[in-house]
Amino acid sequence: MLQAYDPAWAFAANMRDRASRWQRRNLLDAGQLAAIETAYPLDFYRPVWALRVGLFLITWLGAVIASGTVGLMVYSIGLHEDGAFVVGCLLSAAACFVLLEAIIRTNKTYRAGPDNVLLYAGLAALNGSILFLAGQNLPDFNATLAPLVWALPLLLTLLVLLAATVRYADPVVVVVAVANLLLLVFIGTGGLGIALFPPFVMATAGAMLWGLRTLRRRLAAAPPLAAYYATCLLTLKVTALALLYLGGNYLIVREGYAFLGSTAGFGPSPQIPLAPVFYVFTAVIPLIYIALGLRRADRPLLLLGLLTLAFSIFTLRYYRSLLPPEVAAVLAGFFLTALAGLGLRGLRPARFGLTSEPDDEPRHFDLETLIQAQTAHALGGPAGGFEFGGGESGGGGATGQF
Amino acid sequence: MPPPLPDPYLADLERRGLLPPAQAAAIAADEAQRPFSLHYELRALLYLGITLLAGGLGVLVYQNIDTIGHEVIIAAVGLLMAACFGYAARHRAAFTWGVAPKTSVGADYLLVLACLLFVVLEGYVQYRYNLFGNRYGLATALLALVFVPLAYRFDHRGVLAMGLSALAAWVGLSAAPLRVFENDFGNASIRAAALSLGLALVVAGLWSEHQQRKAHFAFTYLLLGCNLALLALGATMVMASFDSLVLLSLLAAAGTLAVCVGLYWYARRTRSYWFLVLSAGYGYFAVCWAVGQLLVLLPSEIWFASAYLFLPLSVGLVVFFFVNIRKLMPDEKPDQRL
Repeated sequence: MLQAYDPAWAFAANMRDRASRWQRRNLLDAGQLAAIETAYPLDFYRPVWALRVGLFLITWLGAVIASGTVGLMVYSIGLHEDGAFVVGCLLSAAACFVLLEAIIRTNKTYRAGPDNVLLYAGLAALNGSILFLAGQNLPDFNATLAPLVWALPLLLTLLVLLAATVRYADPVVVVVAVANLLLLVFIGTGGLGIALFPPFVMATAGAMLWGLRTLRRRLAAAPPLAAYYATCLLTLKVTALALLYLGGNYLIVREGYAFLGSTAGFGPSPQIPLAPVFYVFTAVIPLIYIALGLRRADRPLLLLGLLTLAFSIFTLRYYRSLLPPEVAAVLAGFFLTALAGLGLRGLRPARFGLTSEPDDEPRHFDLETLIQAQTAHALGGPAGGFEFGGGESGGGGATGQF
Repeated sequence: MPPPLPDPYLADLERRGLLPPAQAAAIAADEAQRPFSLHYELRALLYLGITLLAGGLGVLVYQNIDTIGHEVIIAAVGLLMAACFGYAARHRAAFTWGVAPKTSVGADYLLVLACLLFVVLEGYVQYRYNLFGNRYGLATALLALVFVPLAYRFDHRGVLAMGLSALAAWVGLSAAPLRVFENDFGNASIRAAALSLGLALVVAGLWSEHQQRKAHFAFTYLLLGCNLALLALGATMVMASFDSLVLLSLLAAAGTLAVCVGLYWYARRTRSYWFLVLSAGYGYFAVCWAVGQLLVLLPSEIWFASAYLFLPLSVGLVVFFFVNIRKLMPDEKPDQRL
């Protein structure tokens, strides 16, 4: 089978989430829920998060000790130093993948910590040895056809990452693969002139989104596979949308050019060509994200829209200070308070398919806590009581600051 | 938007005969017309808006302080604080040693706001009139003296955390979970203060759990206290062995283990995996260090070999612990997990 974990696990977990939601909304009775839970057992091992973190750390420690021992043994045989490094890496990678497959088969771990570590360690060792070998004899980057030679090992590592994603469906690997792809694009544009990098990034993001649509349509025919890859596809979508925005953001592009042209630190960065195009991207993309997020009831898109909007406002204020900060803060605070108040009042009961009533979905990304944590720090005061798993979180203990 | 596909999950349930078609259709209809909740997003925006507004107004007031006058500001903050306290007091529940029923969410938040305003007011009065002189300790102790009783009366764990943070500040420490590492544990008097305060908090937490006197406060006490005590003990253990005070180091290790046993008792009682892992982690560290201390006393060839054996063995033991951790918890119910 192409997938390392049983896709039925992901499907059963999703099914249970849905069934309990339907039961909370009184669309199923308790007996039906119990029947569904026996029909879709969770026969894999994924403990509570605290244990996952503990298992992750301890497996990591074990992996470090074991690969160190392997390295010492290889080195003591008397290989050449570089050779010993590569052989040690390859041996460790092989051991990691063998162990990974074994614990998935026998212990049925499903992203439980140890399997994550083994996957990451195996990939790091494998790709590390590829890059190390390739790095031994790279031509000067400005030589003819040099970018091709530079791209080759990166292409190889990208293939490794893609194969790992297909088999293990790990979102972290997806992010690393996207970074690898970006590096390739960067090397590719290096030959053509660095001014092409932002449009290339946006084009790459667009291609990723298009590929995502095709993948979604293909996977719809096989629901367990769709469930298996759902986290990966979500990760891909969020990274692609973020790249699309960042590739068009005026601040990133302008300061990026200044950084690459090494004019950074010498007064203000120079104006970029086609600046109005980037103004438009910076201003419009967040609004599109927010509008689409609201229309499609797509929370990741909406949150990304809000975050990018905040970054766009930061971009504007970075170059033009329209108002003194305190006046701007008062006005913005007044506007936001009024908007949120209107929304909270006006969308109860629901209107336009939107509501301000809480749904009882679990939150994966808590915007409010993020803002609270950030602003509470800015106002000068350590967060007071932490509450793991309980309901409330303690107030900011702003003490002892006289 | 593409036309909605039939939901694969409903289709699967129907196929396996777990759901009659009419009910599946009703669920599909509900899913299609269920509104999109913006509750948390709007609340986040509200919070951000109020923070910006308060910050901006604060700066504006500060800039125009000469035309407004300090007395007006102190009076305004005091009035606001009194109003918040008044609202919270009007909606208070009757006192109980158990968990008081929540009467109003607004009162909960306003109590925290009132306490924060009290901090602001105290700071302002100190800045303007130098009320406490150079006795800064008095100022922080006052906060603890006000907040801890308030926390008990209003049954508020957030206020309790503020009070305990003030107490920690009074002895010169920061006790917040993410800032506890910033204490200078290299300093012997800081270590002593952290150890005594941490142990006092741990004892208070274990006592409240054992006596069922505000047992739900135990979490706050232990969370703030155990890290202080355990870090102080750990630092003592390490530094004593650097100074070749083997006995003191072993004593500190024993103390660490004792605190870990207390945490283990609490973890089992409340089925808190967090404290179970915490006690296991510190316990592992203490045992490893103590064993290391004893091994070093052996001749060097022997201790190197035995250390080489001991380290993988201990890792194996920890893995064994994690694999069997569920058995350490009494009759676990899946929905009550941390």
